[in-house]
Amino acid sequence: MALLDRADWYDIARDTNWTPKYVTEDALFPEEQSGTLGLPLEVWESYDEPYKVTYREYVRTQREKDAGVYSVKAALQRANFLDQAEPGWVSILKLHYGAFATLEAMASSAESRMARFGKAGGLRNMATFGSLDENRHGQIQLYFPHEHVHRSRQFDWATKSMHTNEWAVVAARHLFDDIMAGRDAVGVALMLTFAFETGFSNLQFLGLAADAAQAGDISFSNLASSIQTDEARHAQIGGPAVKILIANGKKAEAQRLVDIAIWRAWTLFATVTGPSMDYYTPLDRREKSFKEFMQEWVFGQFERTLLDIGLERPWYWDTMLADLDTRHHGMHAGIWTFHKSVWWDVPPGISRAERAWLEEKYPGWEETWGAHFWDPIIARFLKDGPVDTVLPSMVQLCNMAQVPITGTPGWTPGKTGRPLQDFPLEHEGRLYHFGSEVDRWIFQQDPDRYKDHLSVADRMVAGMIQPPTLEGLLDYFSLQEGEWGEDALGHSWLEEYRQEQVQAA
Amino acid sequence: MSTESEPLKPLRTWSHLAGRRRRPSEYEIVSTNLMYDAKNAESPFELGPNIPLSKWFKKYRHGSPLSGRDWEEFRDPDELTYRAYNILQDGQETYIEGLFDQHNELQYDAGLTAAWVATLPRLYTPARYAYHTVQMASHYLVQIVPSSTIRNCATYQAADALRCVSHRAYRTAELKQIYPDSGFGTAERTAWENDTAWQGFRELMEKVLVAYDWGESFVALNLVAKPAMDEALLRQLAATGRRQGDSLLGLIADSEYRDVQRSRTWSTALVRFAGERPENLVVIRGWVEQWLPLAERAIDAYCRALPDSPQAATTATQAVHGFLQSLDLH
Repeated sequence: MALLDRADWYDIARDTNWTPKYVTEDALFPEEQSGTLGLPLEVWESYDEPYKVTYREYVRTQREKDAGVYSVKAALQRANFLDQAEPGWVSILKLHYGAFATLEAMASSAESRMARFGKAGGLRNMATFGSLDENRHGQIQLYFPHEHVHRSRQFDWATKSMHTNEWAVVAARHLFDDIMAGRDAVGVALMLTFAFETGFSNLQFLGLAADAAQAGDISFSNLASSIQTDEARHAQIGGPAVKILIANGKKAEAQRLVDIAIWRAWTLFATVTGPSMDYYTPLDRREKSFKEFMQEWVFGQFERTLLDIGLERPWYWDTMLADLDTRHHGMHAGIWTFHKSVWWDVPPGISRAERAWLEEKYPGWEETWGAHFWDPIIARFLKDGPVDTVLPSMVQLCNMAQVPITGTPGWTPGKTGRPLQDFPLEHEGRLYHFGSEVDRWIFQQDPDRYKDHLSVADRMVAGMIQPPTLEGLLDYFSLQEGEWGEDALGHSWLEEYRQEQVQAA
Repeated sequence: MSTESEPLKPLRTWSHLAGRRRRPSEYEIVSTNLMYDAKNAESPFELGPNIPLSKWFKKYRHGSPLSGRDWEEFRDPDELTYRAYNILQDGQETYIEGLFDQHNELQYDAGLTAAWVATLPRLYTPARYAYHTVQMASHYLVQIVPSSTIRNCATYQAADALRCVSHRAYRTAELKQIYPDSGFGTAERTAWENDTAWQGFRELMEKVLVAYDWGESFVALNLVAKPAMDEALLRQLAATGRRQGDSLLGLIADSEYRDVQRSRTWSTALVRFAGERPENLVVIRGWVEQWLPLAERAIDAYCRALPDSPQAATTATQAVHGFLQSLDLH
C-alpha cells in the first residue's frame, strides 16, 4: 500500500500546541473566550477525541452525504408532498426550520470559538470540522424550506425568526446565547456539544426523522438523519474536555455547567419538540411519545454517558423526570391558546382518538389536562362558537426559560403532575420569577450573567411594548396576518364534539 | 397597526431578498442575513449587555473603526456554498492523494539528497505550526466578523488551513519512515519555537492572533500575514525544492495555492466593499502599514534560510506588495 494509514500521521496533525513567546498565554487564550479555568496549555495536551477524522476523509464523506440528501430532495420535489401532507406535519416543518436553521448557522461561530480558543490541538481540529458541519446545517436547512416559501409566508420564518422578538425566539436565543454564542470555548464544549448535542439533539433529529419517515416525508427524514450523523461526530468534542476538567480538580465546575445546560435544553425541547411529537404529528404516524423518546435517550443513554465519563446525575434528575408528565402539555396548551403568537399553525391534537393515546402514554391526562383545560374550552366553543386567540392575561414568564410558568390544571396531591407555582427570587432589589426551583438555581449560579435581561412580560410591564394590547404585542413579535399561527384545523375538530353533544341530547 | 393592513402573501423567496429584481442564487438563499447578533450593537446576546462576551463583541466588532457599511450586503465573488466547497476540495484532495500514492510507489523520498532531507525538518514540516496559527486566526474571524456572508468565507479559509496542516503532518510521517533519525516528527516544535528562520512568522502570528478588533484581524491576517506566509512557505519553498530535486513539494504547494487565490479573491472583494466608505480605506491602509514591517521581517528571516535562494525574500516581498498594490493599499 502506497498510502499511509490515518493512524500513521493523525497525531502529528493535532500536535500543534506551542509555547507563546511574543504574547502571553493569557493574552492568547483570554479567560472570557477560552474558559479553561486556569488550566494551562500543557494540561490540555492529553485531550483525545474519540471520533477521529481527517480533512481528506471529511470533504469526501460530506460531499457524498450532500449528494445523497440533495438528490433525494430533487427527485421528490415534483411530487409536492407538502400539498397533500397533513396539517400537523406542515406545522412541524415550519416550527423546525424557524427554530433551528439560523441557530445552526450561529453554532458555527461557537464551534469556531473552540477552534480558536480551545487549548488542545485535537479539540481545535475537531471544532474546525464542527464549524463546517454547522455551516452545512444552516445552509441545508435554508435550502430545503426555501422551496416552500410560495406555499405560505410562515416558511419565511426560517430566516426571519431570529431577527425578531417573538417570544419563542427570545426563549431560544436566551438558551443558545447562554450555552453557545455567549459562552467561552470550554463552556461551549461542555454545554453545547456534550450536554445539548449528546443528550438532546438526537431527540429533535432522530426522533423527528423517525416521525417524518412514518409521515411519508422522505426528504425531511433523510435530511434530519443526515444532520444527525454530523452531530453524532462533533458532539464528541465535549467528552474529553470533561475528563480533563475532572482529572484536574474541576469536577464541580464541569458538573455545574453540564447541569445548567441539560435543564435549559429540557425546557426548550419541552416547548418545541414535545408538542410536535405528542400533538402535531398525525396520530397514526407517531413512532413514540415524547416521554418515551426522553426516557430512552436522555434518561437511558445520556444518563449512562454522564456516569461513564465521571459526572453525577444532575441533582434535579427526579424533578426533570416528573416534569415529563407536565411541562410540554402546558406548553402546548399555551401555544394553542395564543396561536397568533407563533409562526406556525397550531393543531390542537385533542380528537377523541388522540386523547385516548395521550391517556395511554400519560395516565391521568384526561382527569387533569382533559377535564380541566380542554373540556371547558370545548364546552365554551360549542356554546358560543370558537373564538380566536385572545391576549392571555399576561402570563408570568420564567426569567430563565423565558416561557410561561405552568402547572397541571386540576392537580391535587397524589395526582401526576405538579401545581402551578412561581419560584420567586429577589436579587438586588428586583423580583424575578421562575418556573421551577432549577431555573432559579441556574440564576443563582451566576446572577450577573442573567440579572439584566428582561423577559417579554417584563418588557410589557416596563412599557417597552406599545400599545400594550394584543395588536401591539403581535407587532412587537413582528407577526402579521398571513404569518401568525391559526388553529391548524380551522376548528373543524370541534365537529366530533358537536356530534357527541347531539347524540347525548 | 400591522393588523389593519392586508394579510401578508407568500413570496417567491425570503422576504429579505424579495425586493431584488433577479432570482436569488442558491448561494444567496443559504448564506445571507443569518447573523442575528450583529444587529444589536448594545446587547449582541439575549443575556444582556454586561456579560463578558457582550462586552467583547461590543468592543471588537461594533467598536471597530472599520464600519459604516451594511456588511450583510457583502457577497463572496466565488459564491461558495458548503456543498460546493466539499466538491471542490474533495477533487483537490483526490489529486493530492494520487500524488502521495504515486510518489510513494516510486520510492520518491529515498531519492532526495541528504542536504535536502536535512532541510525539510527545519523549513518544511514545522510549517504545520505556522498553518495551524492561520487556522486559529481564521476561526477568530468566523466568530467576530459582522455578517454571515463574511463568516462563510472565513469558515472555508480556516478549513483550508487545516488542509495545509494535514499535508505537512502526512509528509512528516512519510518522511520519518525512510529517515527515522532526521528529526521528522520530533524536531518541528523546537524549530518553530527556537529556529531563527521561524521566529519572524511566530512573532507575526502570535501578534495577529491577539489583534482582536475584527477589522484589524482581517487586515493583519488576510492582507498581510497570510499572504506573506503563502508567498514564503508555499511559493518560495516550492521553488527552492524544485531546484533541490523535490518536485512533489511544489506540486502540493501549487494545489494549496489555489486555496490562497480563493482567499485573496474574497479579501479583495471585502476591501473594495468596505472601501466604498472612503474612511475605511484610510483605516485599512493604516493597519497595513502597521503590520507590513513585521511580515517583511518574517519573510526575510525565513527566506534567508532557504538554500541557494538569494532572491527568495525579495520575490516573496514583491508578491505581497503586488497584492496590496492591486488593492491600492501600498
